[in-house]
Amino acid sequence: MQLTLPSIRYAGRIMNARLLLLALALGFLSLTNRCLAQDGGAGIELFEKKIRPVLVEHCYQCHSAEADKAKNLKAGLRLDTREGILKGGRSGPALVPGKAKGSLLIAALRHEDLRMPPKGKLPDAVIADFETWVAMGAPDPRDGKAIAHVASIDWDQARKAWAFQRPVIHQAPKVKAGNWPRKEIDSFILAELEKRGLTPVRPATRQEWIRRATFDLIGLPPTPAEVDAFENDTSAGAFAKVVDRLLASPHYGERWGRYWLDLARYTDDLGGTVGPVPAPNAYRYRDWVIQAFNRDMPYDQFIRLQLAGDLISEPATDYVERLAGLGFQGLGQRFSGNAVGMVKKKVADELDDRTDTVTRSLLGLTVACARCHDHKFDPIPTIDYYSLTAAYNGAEWKSERDLASPHQLAAFEQWKKEVADRKGKVDRLLQAEAKRLGKKTSKEAIPLLSEELRKEYDQLQAQLDRVIKAQPPTPMKAPTIIGGGKAMQINVRGNPEILGEVAPPGFLHILRPANEAKTDTFTRLDLANAIAHRDNPLTARVYVNRVWHYHFGRGIVATLGNFGQLGDRPTHPELLDTLAVRFMESGWSTKWLHREIMFSATYRLSSAASPVNAAKDADNHYLWRMSPRRLDFEAWRDAMLAVSGQLDSKLGGSPHFQEGPKQKKELHPEDPANHRRTVYGFISRFKPNTTLTLFDFPEPNVTSDRRNVTTIPQQQLFALNSPFTLAMARAFAARLEKEEKNEEARIRLAWRLAYGRNPSQPELVLGREFLRVPTASGAEKLSPWDQLCHSLLTTNEFAFVN
Amino acid sequence: MISESISRRAMLTQFSYGVGMLGLAAVLERTTSSAHADSPRPLAARPAHFPAKAKRIIHLWMNGGPSQVDTFDPKPALERYAGQRPESTARLSTERRTTGLMPSPFRFTRHGQSGLELSEIFPHLARHADDLCVIRSMHTNVPVHEASNWMMFTGNVQPIRPSYGSWLLYGLGSENENLPGFVVLGNGQPVNGPSNWSSRFLPGIYQGCQVVLPGAGDYNPRTLIANLHNPDLSPQAQRRQLDFTQQLNNLHQDRQGPEDALNARIESLELAYRMQTTAYDAFDLSREPAAIQAMYGLAGPEGNSTFGGVSRSNYGRNCLLARRLVERGVRVVQIYAGNLQPWDSHSNNSASQRGLATIVDRPTAALLQDLKQRGLLEDTLVVWGGEFGRTPATEGSNGRDHNHWGFSMWMAGGGVKGGMAYGATDEFGFRAVENRVHVHDLHATMLHLMGIDHERLTYRYSGRDHRLTDVEGRLIHGILE
Repeated sequence: MQLTLPSIRYAGRIMNARLLLLALALGFLSLTNRCLAQDGGAGIELFEKKIRPVLVEHCYQCHSAEADKAKNLKAGLRLDTREGILKGGRSGPALVPGKAKGSLLIAALRHEDLRMPPKGKLPDAVIADFETWVAMGAPDPRDGKAIAHVASIDWDQARKAWAFQRPVIHQAPKVKAGNWPRKEIDSFILAELEKRGLTPVRPATRQEWIRRATFDLIGLPPTPAEVDAFENDTSAGAFAKVVDRLLASPHYGERWGRYWLDLARYTDDLGGTVGPVPAPNAYRYRDWVIQAFNRDMPYDQFIRLQLAGDLISEPATDYVERLAGLGFQGLGQRFSGNAVGMVKKKVADELDDRTDTVTRSLLGLTVACARCHDHKFDPIPTIDYYSLTAAYNGAEWKSERDLASPHQLAAFEQWKKEVADRKGKVDRLLQAEAKRLGKKTSKEAIPLLSEELRKEYDQLQAQLDRVIKAQPPTPMKAPTIIGGGKAMQINVRGNPEILGEVAPPGFLHILRPANEAKTDTFTRLDLANAIAHRDNPLTARVYVNRVWHYHFGRGIVATLGNFGQLGDRPTHPELLDTLAVRFMESGWSTKWLHREIMFSATYRLSSAASPVNAAKDADNHYLWRMSPRRLDFEAWRDAMLAVSGQLDSKLGGSPHFQEGPKQKKELHPEDPANHRRTVYGFISRFKPNTTLTLFDFPEPNVTSDRRNVTTIPQQQLFALNSPFTLAMARAFAARLEKEEKNEEARIRLAWRLAYGRNPSQPELVLGREFLRVPTASGAEKLSPWDQLCHSLLTTNEFAFVN
Repeated sequence: MISESISRRAMLTQFSYGVGMLGLAAVLERTTSSAHADSPRPLAARPAHFPAKAKRIIHLWMNGGPSQVDTFDPKPALERYAGQRPESTARLSTERRTTGLMPSPFRFTRHGQSGLELSEIFPHLARHADDLCVIRSMHTNVPVHEASNWMMFTGNVQPIRPSYGSWLLYGLGSENENLPGFVVLGNGQPVNGPSNWSSRFLPGIYQGCQVVLPGAGDYNPRTLIANLHNPDLSPQAQRRQLDFTQQLNNLHQDRQGPEDALNARIESLELAYRMQTTAYDAFDLSREPAAIQAMYGLAGPEGNSTFGGVSRSNYGRNCLLARRLVERGVRVVQIYAGNLQPWDSHSNNSASQRGLATIVDRPTAALLQDLKQRGLLEDTLVVWGGEFGRTPATEGSNGRDHNHWGFSMWMAGGGVKGGMAYGATDEFGFRAVENRVHVHDLHATMLHLMGIDHERLTYRYSGRDHRLTDVEGRLIHGILE
């Protein structure tokens, strides 16, 4: 088998020049730090690149602390510390710094006297590296302690990066247009606008605002009645009433839960090779997420339950709430790998999926970079990757878990046993009688029972029936995770076949409190608590930024999953910090955050164009207006269902047309018979639905925090020709015909349903003209009204929100 | 104290691991390439890194893994050692237990001016010997189908990376935005299914578009691409309706002011309208003259032949369709031989190899000839091979096991030297020993031929820039024209 050894060269070396200089300026990375000092930085660099990997791969097996522990230390020589290498073993010092020729290590590598490594001489180029290194004085950063390379990060410097400093509340800045702000947010936004000579555009009309707010919170368009009510509501609390109504809607969780499911790489099967590996109860996790949003579960609790619901005892009685969130990890990637040479990589890749997903989605850090080498830009040494991943090491994610208390489970088991007992009694009676009468089956014996036996049989059967009737509820099952928390050995350069030192289990060094007590264990609960801790500088910021992104189309930090050096800097750092702290103070309430944002003057801005502003800030980073946004596929499709009156607003359940044993037919978005919201469709990792993929739905193998917005003709083919769109168009037309009597009223209703506004005069004229179809077209299968409705569903205005 | 300027220069050199300005140049390119997906025309053709020898790729995937010693890698020594297991091969373990060496029953003869040695089971292909560049020293990581399929198409043994077709589409766009730029053809579903052509973390529009042809009798170009045809409106009525839609869009645009995203969708609706005709034409095989159909082996009783689940009618039409698609600018076409893994000859190896070769030989040769006569072969790279090869040693009584230690593939056209064999396996065809070519190297070379430096085609994901070849991949200089 060929061992694929990732070399130190890696794709990420292509770096942005600006960031390069930034990293140099910060100077906390081992490399740059050493370079700036006069201690032979190039030597350390050589050691890290060329020497250490060879020592680990070829020498540690017999010459390290591990080897010593395993009673395998040869010649009393340790090569895993600077001290050991200088002191040497039974043959004397392994090397003389500066003198390659007189060094035993070099002679052994050259096979001059001793022959090392015993398996075979290393390539000449490698030996030459060792000679160069010794000649340079054998610079060696290893100080003999376990975490040798952590020492080369200047932690005090590293902590100065903005994202690692605890957020604090900032005083709202002074602004010139003092009457513009409505909320604290607005002062921060306006101050930046004024500083840059930008002017906020006009506020949105009420029609514009309610369409935006409704799509934002529930992913559906407002009904004409809702638009009217809002327009006519002159009370001071008109806006609040709309937001409250939308936040109380069960559709809210369907919209915001789906965003989370992108991060959680939610799927209804687990991939596969010759066919899908089923995950029939995956939807319990999906529904749990939707419910959590609807109930406004505090975000810190939301994290704890998803990472470690099985390790905590709250909520005390609701075992569905406590345990169904574990699908966040239970539905992670699973690989096949029982073949030769695959097993270790399989396990390592599965662990990586968990660590990568958790750190990017919850912490906004790309910890997975440190799987193969110390993070090039952020203070995350390789050892930290393995320390943190220990929380998952040894865990099992194959089985499903009963969502019930031990008591409920015991009652259910007891009931099953009782049914079996009772049934056994009935069976034994009949079998004995059948045998006596020479009948083949027990059934045949029933009519032939003697009066006495018949009485006994009836009694037993009645008891059995009674027990069966008294069945306690069958516990629901859901994907889960069990165990974990085993310390890991570093996989040298990410290769699970080559193991280095043991990484002490624990959280990322950079995020640990300075005075934290040392422990030997690190469970998923420890991980959850470290993430969901008020002192964690990242968790609230990252989450608040995600919510902001979905309201404005761009985060305050544009790189939602990367708050490290390679991520973008916040456009409004003080606003982000203030919001993050207030969010935690609100009890980590997402609904609080929506209100805070949506009542602002910033959120109330229209999408009006402004060439003057655009000249200075074309991409609207500073929010002088609300950027127009295209609806994502879910909202676009659901809106078609809604305006055509076809939406089935049933909540939750399996991604099939029917619940229960006959649930065979999967729900797919292009199926005209599927009127459920898109979030309830079947998500396959084995065979991704091509319609979803076409419309930028994320690949459910990997965590995804931002949808691409692509425009390609096959998407438009779906709009123009798909049986789904055509069915929606027909239903839309039928609805108009039913609800209004004359042509103009129907056109007006069509516009109000599709766009939340009345048609303009030119639109009315165009519409009426279009309905007068030339006689030759009478053979078409779509009526003029069907066609008009179809047109509206395919327009830009229907697909975009201001 | 080192002067500041010197230390800064030293740092730059070290920091970029000696890449220096090359790295910086790549940064500028990456900035533009990352923006492709959200641009108004994410599939538009984009310039390569350097002038390309090949503009498109047709990959004929013999799923299951053909046997190199029966096809492209003659090993007379197998006769001498028949039934024996020489020491040098004793430790080469594969998926299952194998015993002594099994010679190939097929005769190898020299063909063309080059005198390239080919097995008798490919008589039609043999006429193109001077176009073939056979790599006899391929090797991959593990003797397992799933892992090796993913390796062959995505460069990793697990399904965690984009397929090379997606990388190419992302890097180069397509020369015809009215057709999917990366098309996968075949019958049934190969092992791993769509994860072989997934775009993974690249935008979804770059994933392969799978088209499974129905039986010859039910063939209708309209149904091959989703939603290509409006079942309810005539083209005239649809045009009138689209004009109305666009009038509404224009009124909307007037109110909104200039917005790229709105323009892009307006343009895209027109593209979609035209695509109904252009894509129909591309997939309409009935337009091919009878002589061409016959050349691909689709005529007569032979046209209905099947072996081991691979049908001439399906494979032959896929080859013909591949030519029609690349002719129209499709970037990558992959054809898998058949459902699951037809070439997986764990038993009856000789009969399987011959039977399957007989099905694919004529259409494959026809594809080369057809491309050539249209002047397309010179800038179309044709790749033929399995995910691995087979053991020269015997499995059971007459089978051959998977072999990742060494196997053969061939390429033709698109900037590779014809009429040559590159690299070599050991005396018995077991393990690649000379000029070894790993799948990563193959990928690096395919990208190179397409005008792309495999180290510079990157995508930022999960905090780092990923590439098809990860940290591997060496160009196979010896086969470049």
